[in-house]
Amino acid sequence: MVATAVTSAFFSVTSSPDSSDSKNKKLGSIKSKPSVSSGSLQVKANAQAPPKINGTVAVTTSVEGSKNDDGASSPPPRTFINQLPDWSMLLAAITTIFLAAEKQWMMLDWKPRRPDMVIDPFGIGKIVQDGLVFSQNFSIRSYEIGVDQTASIETLMNHLQETAINHCRSAGLLGEGFGATPEMCKKNLIWVVTRMQVVVDRYPTWGDVVQVDTWVSASGKNGMRRDWLVSNSETGEILTRATSVWVMMNKLTRRLSKIPEEVRGEIEPFFMSSDPVLAEDSQKLVKLDDSTAEHVCKGLTPKWSDLDVNQHVNNVKYIGWILESAPLPILESHELSAMTLEYRRECGRDSVLQSLTTVSDSNTENAVNVGEFNCQHLLRLEDGAEIVRGRTRWRPKLAESSANMDQISAERA
Amino acid sequence: MLKFPYCNVTDLNQALAQCRFVGLLGPLASRRQSPRAVVSCSPSSSEFSLTPVQAVMSCQQQVGSSLVNRLRLGGLTEDGFSYKEKFIIRGFEVGINKIATIETIANLLQEVGSNHAQSVGFSTDGFGTSPTMRKLHLIWVTARMHIEVYKYPAWRDVIEIETWCQNEGRIGTRRDWILNDVATGEVFGRATSKWVMMNQDTRRMQKVSDDVKEEYLVFCPREPRLAFSEKNNKSLKRIAKLEDPVRYSKLGLKPRRADLDMNQHVNDVTYIGWVLESIPKEIIDTHELQAITLDYRRECQQYNVVDSLTGLELTEGSKMVSVGTNGSATATATTREDDHDCHRFLHLLRLSSDGREINRGRTEWRKKPTR
Repeated sequence: MVATAVTSAFFSVTSSPDSSDSKNKKLGSIKSKPSVSSGSLQVKANAQAPPKINGTVAVTTSVEGSKNDDGASSPPPRTFINQLPDWSMLLAAITTIFLAAEKQWMMLDWKPRRPDMVIDPFGIGKIVQDGLVFSQNFSIRSYEIGVDQTASIETLMNHLQETAINHCRSAGLLGEGFGATPEMCKKNLIWVVTRMQVVVDRYPTWGDVVQVDTWVSASGKNGMRRDWLVSNSETGEILTRATSVWVMMNKLTRRLSKIPEEVRGEIEPFFMSSDPVLAEDSQKLVKLDDSTAEHVCKGLTPKWSDLDVNQHVNNVKYIGWILESAPLPILESHELSAMTLEYRRECGRDSVLQSLTTVSDSNTENAVNVGEFNCQHLLRLEDGAEIVRGRTRWRPKLAESSANMDQISAERA
Repeated sequence: MLKFPYCNVTDLNQALAQCRFVGLLGPLASRRQSPRAVVSCSPSSSEFSLTPVQAVMSCQQQVGSSLVNRLRLGGLTEDGFSYKEKFIIRGFEVGINKIATIETIANLLQEVGSNHAQSVGFSTDGFGTSPTMRKLHLIWVTARMHIEVYKYPAWRDVIEIETWCQNEGRIGTRRDWILNDVATGEVFGRATSKWVMMNQDTRRMQKVSDDVKEEYLVFCPREPRLAFSEKNNKSLKRIAKLEDPVRYSKLGLKPRRADLDMNQHVNDVTYIGWVLESIPKEIIDTHELQAITLDYRRECQQYNVVDSLTGLELTEGSKMVSVGTNGSATATATTREDDHDCHRFLHLLRLSSDGREINRGRTEWRKKPTR
């Protein structure tokens, strides 16, 4: 019985709290969602095949949260227990006090910034804000960290892509495959991204948890705009903002299409009327060629893992290729702070690509801060057909010395 | 890390003091560190039926915010000898077949191994080193990796991976994994890997000294526990070096920046991608990878260029039908093949420049199931 008192003290901790707790993002390690085992005490309790203590199954009865004094008659206590009683009562008392204290503290600390947010353990995400904004948490895994000790830009873009798909899915807008509504599927229409703009204020690192919010709006009469806001789940700091423009294309004829009325009926309820999260980078993207490009990387071919479900190269992979021809001194001493991409053409497994880059630091329209670089990019097939046109901005990594700056300037001289 | 094989009052009082339950009363303390402190008792008497609750002290600094630990759907198992974590398969982790790619699975194995090391207080620099190892500039490097997948999980499937490690011979340690589909409870894959210790500076192998061994053996199961049964020892099978004629090849592979891990080395998982690069479309379209074994022989640096070569694996008694090069689909089908339409290949990854071997591998492919 002493044993059950002890265990019940623990289990009362993890018994499923009321919904007000679940709204609090800053959950203590002890609280956990009831349906999910998150390595907390609850898991361990249930995972054990609970031995019958005194003829009862102690675990299940304790989970209800009340002090369990089942009063079942017990065999004479073993020597071990006899030595323990003071400790266990002390433990129970301490734990109870702690719980009360933590609960108090939780209430004080609760930031009502996103009252609808629920931590969703499997990262499936939730629709918040009247069903228009989709929100999902990602924890940065060790293999998503790149050579810069931060999450790579590809990781961030993957998260954006994932929330976009999950948004469509949870809004019921996903027909077969990724990204086409049921009406679109009937008409063989698909969404195609034409433009993407990303500004990274800070890259998350291993162990960070980011929250990605995404929503859609109309873009002109026949386009769609999808915006993202990435923030640090714990601090609320904005890490990344991104916006993208999508148009509709017939997947058989590969021609652009207007949005048919039936599809408009499906998607318009989900459009938010809001300003873009990023001011549009209206500067025209220059097309590089062999004479204007300073760095060229040839013979880039898609690997099997670069292909998406449609056997086209995943949009995110283009970014990696674009960076392949960025000069190494910049890659090593600077980090990508902003990127604008125009998608022109798809490519598949058999394509052979070339990546061209020019560093332009004397850009008159976008005044460059000290130490920053602008680059122009082009990804094209060997026959010259354009795949992606882009521009990137780079800022010095935090602890870089000026020596690198000199090296970069010297190289360009 | 506190483990108490014998329970008595003195030990438990000590445990209490060290568990800093008193410290937990401070709200800020608990918030910063979120120690998962549970007291463990492995009673000496097996008849004793106090429900054991376990003590895992994360006294050492935790990586990143405690939020990730709360969100992480994993933790040490009750006996502390293995680690389990759940994952959901995300949209960008599936491949052309709409199922998780082998790279995704390999990445998750790596992640779980890394989280296991972190949860027992080992380093968080990506190397999983113990304190003594760090003092001696020793790191673990993968020597062999063997993964078998019986059924690939699909997008949005929830999987659970359990991992543990144990000693292997004099110079190695071994990490095993079991992969479960949470929805069905079935085991959909198993994996095992062998690691050796290397001096970070000299890049030479080093025998596992006793003090290092003791540091991590505490967290290993007491009895040998293998993901693969003794009988199924494909994981131990020696991989022959690929000889001519080479069936398929992909030359000139270069590490991309994204292939480098946080320690500036070519990620282990990148090698798997390279091995698969020389598999032709006919196989990729009709078959799925059933098993892969890789022997890591030499490190590949950022600036190296690699050739990926593939040939058929011949078993005793099978005849090598000589066919034209650039293996066509029909030619493949008529050579080494058993009743189940299973293909077995040998692989070699070598440096383009001088032909030195980087990896040696073996893959098995089965016909894709209709989904």
